[in-house]
Amino acid sequence: MSNVKTVSQEAQAQVANNVPNKKRGPWREVWRRMKQNKAAMVGLVIIGILIFAALTANIIAPYGYDDQNLPGRFQTPNSKHLLGTDNFGRDIFSRIIYGSRISLMVGFIAVGIAALSGGTLGAIAGFYGGKLDNVIMRMIDILLAIPGILLAISIVAALGPGLRNVMIAVGIGAIPGYARIVRASVLSLRDQEFIEAAKAVGANDFRIITKHIIPNSMAPIIVQATLGVANAILAAAGLSFIGLGIQPPTPEWGAMLSSGRNYIRDYPHIATFPGIAIMITIFGLNLLGDGLRDALDPRLKS
Amino acid sequence: MHKYIIRRLLLLIPVMLGVTFIIFTMMYFTPGDPARIMLGESAPESEVIKLREDLGLNDPYLVQFGRYIKNAVVHQDIGRSYTTRRPVVDEIMARFPATLKLAAMGAFVAVALGIPTGIISATKQYSLFDNIAMVLALIGVSMPNFWQGLMMMLVFSVYLGWFPASGFTSPKHWVLPALTIGTSSAAIITRMTRSSMLEVIRQDYIRTARAKGQVESVVINQHALKNALIPVITVIGLQFGFLLGGAVLTETIFAIPGVGRLMIESIFRRDFPIVQGAVLFIAVSFSIVNLFVDILYAFVDPRIKSQYK
Amino acid sequence: MFKSKKLLVLLSMVLVFALFAVGCSQPADTTPDGDTEQPAGDVTVKDTLIVAQGGDPASLDPHATNDQPSARVMKHIYNTLVTQNQQMEVVPALAESWEVIDDLTYEFKLRQDVKFHNGEDFTANDVKFTLLRAKESNHIGHIVGAIDPEGIEIIDDYTIRISTEKPFAPLLAHLSHTASSILNEKAVTEGGEDYGQNPVGTGPFKFVNWVTGDSIELERYDGYHDGPAKMAKVTFRAIVENTTRTIELETGGIDIAYDIQPQDVSRVEGNSDLNLIRGESFTTGYIGFNAAKKPFDDVRVRQAINYAIDIDSIVEAVFQGVGTPAKGPLGPNVWASHQGLEPYGYNVEKAKELMAEAGLADGFKTTIWTNENQQRMDISEIIQNQLRAINIDVEVKVMEWGAYLDGTAAGEHDMFILGWVTVTGDPDYGLYALFHSAQHGAAGNRTFYTNTRVDELLDSARVETDPSMREKFYLEAQEIIRNDAPWIFNNNGENIDGLRKNVKGYMQHPAGHHYLYNVYFE
Repeated sequence: MSNVKTVSQEAQAQVANNVPNKKRGPWREVWRRMKQNKAAMVGLVIIGILIFAALTANIIAPYGYDDQNLPGRFQTPNSKHLLGTDNFGRDIFSRIIYGSRISLMVGFIAVGIAALSGGTLGAIAGFYGGKLDNVIMRMIDILLAIPGILLAISIVAALGPGLRNVMIAVGIGAIPGYARIVRASVLSLRDQEFIEAAKAVGANDFRIITKHIIPNSMAPIIVQATLGVANAILAAAGLSFIGLGIQPPTPEWGAMLSSGRNYIRDYPHIATFPGIAIMITIFGLNLLGDGLRDALDPRLKS
Repeated sequence: MHKYIIRRLLLLIPVMLGVTFIIFTMMYFTPGDPARIMLGESAPESEVIKLREDLGLNDPYLVQFGRYIKNAVVHQDIGRSYTTRRPVVDEIMARFPATLKLAAMGAFVAVALGIPTGIISATKQYSLFDNIAMVLALIGVSMPNFWQGLMMMLVFSVYLGWFPASGFTSPKHWVLPALTIGTSSAAIITRMTRSSMLEVIRQDYIRTARAKGQVESVVINQHALKNALIPVITVIGLQFGFLLGGAVLTETIFAIPGVGRLMIESIFRRDFPIVQGAVLFIAVSFSIVNLFVDILYAFVDPRIKSQYK
Repeated sequence: MFKSKKLLVLLSMVLVFALFAVGCSQPADTTPDGDTEQPAGDVTVKDTLIVAQGGDPASLDPHATNDQPSARVMKHIYNTLVTQNQQMEVVPALAESWEVIDDLTYEFKLRQDVKFHNGEDFTANDVKFTLLRAKESNHIGHIVGAIDPEGIEIIDDYTIRISTEKPFAPLLAHLSHTASSILNEKAVTEGGEDYGQNPVGTGPFKFVNWVTGDSIELERYDGYHDGPAKMAKVTFRAIVENTTRTIELETGGIDIAYDIQPQDVSRVEGNSDLNLIRGESFTTGYIGFNAAKKPFDDVRVRQAINYAIDIDSIVEAVFQGVGTPAKGPLGPNVWASHQGLEPYGYNVEKAKELMAEAGLADGFKTTIWTNENQQRMDISEIIQNQLRAINIDVEVKVMEWGAYLDGTAAGEHDMFILGWVTVTGDPDYGLYALFHSAQHGAAGNRTFYTNTRVDELLDSARVETDPSMREKFYLEAQEIIRNDAPWIFNNNGENIDGLRKNVKGYMQHPAGHHYLYNVYFE
């Protein structure tokens, strides 16, 4: 039990340290805490590798993502094709590398859309309160009442498939989460002294929200966003699975998995590797998200 | 308390209206003509026009929406399926048992796996068990459901032959789908239970209880668990609500005739009345589950009860 | 601490066990669908046949739908006046004989020993009622569209004359379509809006129960006029996921799986518990050009693309060798199909020449549309790849079915992939809607192909009653279409069904509406 005690004492000490830190201080502190968290660092390394792969795909991928070779299809992993070839004889390893671009793009942009619009709505609702708050939050309730994947499916059905629409659909589905989180933290900040002070010196609402409130409610958003990227990648893969995803021959992992499932019994490697790629990515994002949460919220540090 | 419940139920009305409006609008502006889809690629244009007329699809948007709302409110009639001509309510009720069963089984798997694992992990923090459990939980969250379902079907029905591959007629059929949708929820619940327990364990009253010399199991079971369960119940409620509507992929893979699949197929067929009805139904079930969870809080933690006025 | 851990481990074990107990609580001797599993060598015979297809029927009212899953079930509940046997010859069904009165009129003699499942006698009245109701149908009205509603004349209870407004050669083929199934007036009236869920016919099986999205149960009709069927019950299950359907067949959950996918063919073939039945179907897969749009309005471009695509590689890679490369617009088993046509063949040099002649040696950018069907998406990816050789840059656009039908009907597309099933086995069904210029857009001619000579031939063949003349017209039309190349003639499909080894007496029907009347277990 001594272990737990020291941890919580340490945590309390950190909370105490946290407050008087200067402007850049808290982030350095977060980083220091992150570094101690092995799991979070593993997550960071995974995501780092992924980003690297995405940026340098055209250099490190041994083949193009659309180099068909019909006579050489269905190869199991071998020295020329590390992860084998698919039903068109395309190199699966290369496609997974190129696919990291798509998945990261879908993940980040969808989350960007969600965080930006959800955050704005939440901030407005929380800051102004009253009727506006009520209207916005009821809208969010409605959005929340429609399950995310169904919403995404309806949106893609309406807009048509394709990378851009998938990102929009997945993004809209994730709006309620951000709206709620931002609203909650804005509510807790709204009546604090430094906001009152800013109002007193005549700062306008926009400035107060962007300069004071948002920076101070970043922590929960960052955590939510890290996990949100994971959800977005999964959601996009799910959309591809029901045939409403990204256009071929784009090597989106979910689409690779979905088309590979027809061959899953004879050539399981075609569907297995994209599945593993998704899993590792989500795994890394979750590790990172957990680590960030612990680092940002010392009470929860475990 | 009952006032609170009534207020919450009244709040459902604007949510239902809003959901109806959004889905109606979205479906209306989605390209794809229901009549054309129903009649197929070979039907002459004259028949398509006639069918559109019969279905009232040529009326302007507001007329259609008004008619829908009016029928729903005045006659409690939310229409018939374009495709099967069966009343929407019948179609959904025919599918609901499977969905409910699947969600309940999934939630059962999730709770049965998640809560004990979470508690052990928390009490034995940083132990081998904890580490393995946490890695497994993370893998559980990271695995795409549809992939997991396929892999399980491959192993358990094809290679081992333990369970049937599809359908939903007997308990034997329930196992694989329930495990498929249950494991990711289990992973979430494990993590939630663990962190919630950890937080509670450090609270003063637990220290006090320990200081009083109470047996550790009593401390955990009597004091810690009860308080730690509140956030866990929220998650379970959310997950259950999610399973009610979000099991589309699992339903597809295992050929389960549930509401989720009905809804997807209807979107593809542009069977608007069904889509409307199904979304509304899912939204209402989701809200009611949430309300139920909130009420449950009051029983777990009497302090919360006072807030429900 | 120790104690608590023990307790918790116990608790979790109990819960996990409880779960498995629920999972395994089903007595071990029953199979999923409740019929008794037989120990090896047992002589008791199963009497329920379970058939799985890829979709749930929309309705069992023949006038309320025109889809394959429904037709496959309705074929067992209803009968038509005449029917087509496996060789696609028209043979008697509810009509025991017929004669041609004149160019417009047929007279049918009806069987007198037929009763509907509800006990009503089958008479000429039912035929008239059915045909008039069918003509009113939004779904299948066009199938009986040629019939003149004023020209249905009841001579006596068992004699009826049916005439068309204009001579219509394929009338008997259309009367054998499941859409022309004969209904009972009383049952339809009683059923009202719910008739589609409570069908009543004269067929060998009667309707029992329908779990929507899951299964339809039929039961033997003992009063069937040709003698009772061999199976006591037939259950049609909807299993959308192709892999799952095959797995169910392998694990014995179902007895017959329709539409085995090409990649599973060798698996079913190699399984000693299963039989694979395959035969030519009436399906033709094609890639259409929007011939009304540049540059596809130039026949040389269309021909060039036909030369630039290696159809064999598509059939091999996408269909794993199932089916055959198409020579022309009609499959080989459709009557009057022109099998003397020369396939374009894979000839990139020739393609380049033609492109150069058309002034497009540098190629162009275009799109190919497909719906979210995996095989079609695969085909479009191969085409995209192969057309690079003649500098055509193709973007693949996967669309959802509804939007796809709309867009291709409106002519917004460049190239597109579709298939066509010539259900009646008659060339009129397989050519008129697809190539006649009166059928542009939604009606079926989504290539917007126009050729006045083809129009003329199709029109004349439709009213020509002399089969040899008809055949001549169709052969010429096919030749012109082949040369004009509004399509890339892709592949002729196959029906592939998987059966458990003990299923006997199964025969395929090329239109896909397989008839299970003679099926039994050994």
